[in-house]
Amino acid sequence: MSTWIFLGIVVAIGLWLIAVYNGLVGGRNQAQTAWSQIDVQLKRRHDLIPNLVQVVKDAMAYEQETLTKVIQARNNAVAASGNAAQSGPAEAALSQATHGLLALMENYPQLKANDNVMQLQEELTTTENKIAFARQFYNDSVNTYNTRRQSFPAVLAAASLGFGPMDLFNMPETERAVPKVALR
Amino acid sequence: MSATTDFVAAQNQNRRNTMVLLAVLTVLAGGIGYLVGALLETESSGSLPAVSQMGIAAAGLMAAVSIGWSAISLAVGDRMVLSMAGAKVIEQQDAPQLYNVVEEISIAAGVPMPRVMVLETDALNAFATGNKVGNGTIAVTRGLLNSLTRDELQGVVAHEMAHLRNLDTRYMVVVGVTVGLIALVCDMALRTMNLGRMRSDDRKGSSGGGILIIVLLVVAILAPLAAKAVQMAVSRQREYLADATSVQFTRNPNGLISALGKLAEKAAPFPGVSRATQHLFIVNPIHQFTSKTPALLATHPDIEDRIARLRNLGG
Repeated sequence: MSTWIFLGIVVAIGLWLIAVYNGLVGGRNQAQTAWSQIDVQLKRRHDLIPNLVQVVKDAMAYEQETLTKVIQARNNAVAASGNAAQSGPAEAALSQATHGLLALMENYPQLKANDNVMQLQEELTTTENKIAFARQFYNDSVNTYNTRRQSFPAVLAAASLGFGPMDLFNMPETERAVPKVALR
Repeated sequence: MSATTDFVAAQNQNRRNTMVLLAVLTVLAGGIGYLVGALLETESSGSLPAVSQMGIAAAGLMAAVSIGWSAISLAVGDRMVLSMAGAKVIEQQDAPQLYNVVEEISIAAGVPMPRVMVLETDALNAFATGNKVGNGTIAVTRGLLNSLTRDELQGVVAHEMAHLRNLDTRYMVVVGVTVGLIALVCDMALRTMNLGRMRSDDRKGSSGGGILIIVLLVVAILAPLAAKAVQMAVSRQREYLADATSVQFTRNPNGLISALGKLAEKAAPFPGVSRATQHLFIVNPIHQFTSKTPALLATHPDIEDRIARLRNLGG
């Protein structure tokens, strides 16, 4: 009789461990998927910026300095990608340079009539939004995951099952603002 | 209306409300099944049993038919909606801004990219349909595309994405089927009772089911109305929920607030819209609901009330 009770308890603990494990795996995978989405969008921005500079450089011939700064920031961000510690600040600097360029473009009415420029403009806006939303979803996922692994009773098993805490993705404030550019 | 200050609390409250409403509907359907079964058993045996086995069987049958019918509706429902006049699937190059906004919000919601459709009409409206996450469609009208700003469009798309992620379309199909089934069975019960009464007149006083017949008569008349009211209440709760979820995605209630303001003025009916599809839209395309319309039978909450709740979320 007591053997059966003992066996029952073992099975119950086993089932509970499976549930905890699966819950944590699900949470971690969601966060990792979200992370890769941020990566995709940052790369997209790296690809877009040279194109934008290419189409505006004739019209903005007197803004060589700004254009060079944007390209330089973009190249720095590309070089830093893959390194989480350097990537954040480099991407933030790139955002700042991009905003500067977009603001300067306001002074060139002939650009507003250019379909190509308008199209790149929309592309850059959506990419900025996607970076912000992907980061938001990633941070929400990480929060949910961290809360789950710190909650009782999962906290008893999480560390020994190999589930460490995950870090939020922080970028300086400038990254969050979508460029406000009215081309009309 | 309780003052909800954040979208998580607003969503939780809406989910609780919906669960209560669904429970009411289930009890209603099961109860009618039981009553009908009990009456049939009484008719055949001549006395009212304490626990009617036929009643339990009938309640089970109601559940089984409801599930099967729901499955069929879900399988074919999409096609019916998508054949709406002038609806056409678009790609990125057809309407870049719309497509981009849908992509942005699908990232914010963490769901796969749905199909994007444009309805060729000047009316302002939008809807979503899909029976599971990963197989969804978001459609907006041409009029909407032409008259909303990027932020407003984002709010509307986020509302539709919320319907997809919360599986509201599936929810409403199941609710609709249950309501339809209740109406059908009540109708059948009323007809059967007419025949039954004629027969028992002949036999004179084989009663025991007399009270049961009166109960069933009252239930059969009132239940379809109650079920309809519950269905509409569920629909309204899901609209509030989608509004709150929209803010979770965009973190910007102002876009949806000003979009709803514009939609309220120009949500005209257009070809392909019918009573069967009216609940799918962001604002009801057929009826304008104001605080004065009887709220019991409205698919959507009053737009002013929706805007007030959104402002409560920090707009």
